Amino acid sequence: MGQFRNIITLSFRDYSHEWRMSGCFVLALASVLAPMMILFGLKFGIVTSMVNTLIDNPSNREIRPVGSARYSQQWFDSYAARKEVSFVIPKTRALAATIQLKSTNAGRIQSTELMATAENDPLLRELDNKPEGYYQVILSDSIANKLNVKVGDKIDGSLARQFRGKRERVHIDLQVINVAPPNIVSRKVAFVSIDLLLAIESFKDGQAVKALGWTGSQQQPTHQFPSFRMYASSINEVEALVKELEQQGVDVKANTAEIKTVQSIDQNLSIIFWIIACVGAVGFSFSLGASLWANVDRKKKDLSILRLVGFQGGKIILFPVLQSAYTGFLGWLLAVLIYLMAEQTINQLLAPSLEIAQVICYLLPEHFFWALGLTMFVAATAAILGGIRASHIEPSDGLRDI
Amino acid sequence: MSIIYSLKNVVKSRLVGDAGFRLCVPNVDIQAEEHIALVGHSGCGKSTLLDMLALALHPDSSESFTISPVNDEPQDVDLLWKKKKQNLLSKLRKQHIGYVLQQGGLLPYLTVRENIELPRKLMNLPEDDSTRSIARVMDIHRQLDKLPGLLSAGERQRVAFTRALSHRPSILLADEPTASLDPITARKIMAVVMELVKGLKITMITASHDWAHVYKMDLRSLHQEAEVVENGNVYQSTFRD
Repeated sequence: MGQFRNIITLSFRDYSHEWRMSGCFVLALASVLAPMMILFGLKFGIVTSMVNTLIDNPSNREIRPVGSARYSQQWFDSYAARKEVSFVIPKTRALAATIQLKSTNAGRIQSTELMATAENDPLLRELDNKPEGYYQVILSDSIANKLNVKVGDKIDGSLARQFRGKRERVHIDLQVINVAPPNIVSRKVAFVSIDLLLAIESFKDGQAVKALGWTGSQQQPTHQFPSFRMYASSINEVEALVKELEQQGVDVKANTAEIKTVQSIDQNLSIIFWIIACVGAVGFSFSLGASLWANVDRKKKDLSILRLVGFQGGKIILFPVLQSAYTGFLGWLLAVLIYLMAEQTINQLLAPSLEIAQVICYLLPEHFFWALGLTMFVAATAAILGGIRASHIEPSDGLRDI
Repeated sequence: MSIIYSLKNVVKSRLVGDAGFRLCVPNVDIQAEEHIALVGHSGCGKSTLLDMLALALHPDSSESFTISPVNDEPQDVDLLWKKKKQNLLSKLRKQHIGYVLQQGGLLPYLTVRENIELPRKLMNLPEDDSTRSIARVMDIHRQLDKLPGLLSAGERQRVAFTRALSHRPSILLADEPTASLDPITARKIMAVVMELVKGLKITMITASHDWAHVYKMDLRSLHQEAEVVENGNVYQSTFRD
């Protein structure tokens, strides 16, 4: 234990005494490691933002039915339970899915398309609340503008039908709980709960809706839906789902061609980056290993003297290993600093051409620790190999200058 | 007087192919508190023999090679090497032997004081006034906080002697300790060393190519004979009483 502490002290004293040489090793290490980290940062940043903007874009995961059919509630339940499907919700007939909206802030009544939504709807994933019950609504940006309303305002929804030869109109007070930005949907759309959508369809079909106090025929409806909105859980599931639905006779469309492109770009970029990274890592290992190995050779005389004054061979290995560890850690630290400066510069330079919150160069905290781990592993391996050799030579070997 | 080193037919060769150098010690005993000089010209194997005595170099073969340090068990050195008992050899070296190299062999990153105290630290010995008094006798007590790089060659050798004696070894080995010094400085240092060695009852073995010097210091010398053997391929050097 005492010898171990002595070795730590001595190796550090030597390391700081030779600060010029140590500094060179640290610089050499950082100059190999920093570009590798920047390269990795670019790969990770570019691929991640590609994944985020292209792969995770819900429209790329959407499976759109062409034409209309009749889907039962059971059909929806079975698909909602599938893990390949992240979200599926019925659409009602286009005529039944329309509402007249009016606000006190604008004169005109707006005829607006209704769409059902629910928790986990990928289309509205940026919004943190969803309409529940009969009286909440999320408006698209365009209709909110036309009605001149904002979140929290009350608006009047009205529906008309021909029932037993008479024209009837009912009103419902709706609260605007959110506004969907134009990049989500550009049309005039009001998102409501599936309950409200079904109630409106029932009303249009001449049936009574007790919960809303709407009168009509007492016959209980069995809803059949002509269409749906479906999102696969990832773009990789889209193709299989499309095939399956087509086999059931459901004619659907999806962005399969775009998905293929995105997938192959992702794959090719990954391959290219991995090749560069592997070559870089091997080169890094060799250059670090070579310089640390050479260092052990340079230290032969000092190590022999330490053995002569009585350090045991096995413990002498620690001397170069510890010094390599100092180099590894300081080199890594310097590389991280260089990388962080490069990251800031790259991201700031490219910021104007990027979307908000998108970065081109980016590493996760664990990547820094991976870099440290790799550096320390290579450093220790090189030093141990060199150190074992040093410990095998007889103490007399390095004593005399030639 | 007890025998510290006993060497019988100890051989060490440094051959490249068939040609090279061979060191032979047919029969040498070294008594406790003896002061020995290995005398011979450069390249005759003095350093090789000293390294073997310092347990820092293994012999090729021997009939017997024992070290019997004062207050410790006798050890068969050849056997320890053959059994690769490196740690025991380290321990013996650490406890019983002080070694002064031709060029000092000080660690450049430690101050003079730390260099001197290193052997004591390794043996977990407490700090000791006697080290300071040796430093005073050696006339380096004003240099204790300097790095070796700032000292003259003579001062560095004085520090090397002080370090070799700091942990109170019973054996002091010195390999041409004054070869790189001017004769006046060399004699001054050796005179002080002899005084210390006698006072501390230490067995000293020193290598020197300076015959006159050795006779003046009243050292028992092991003489070296050289011959060329094996068709002129091997330079064989033999040390005898």
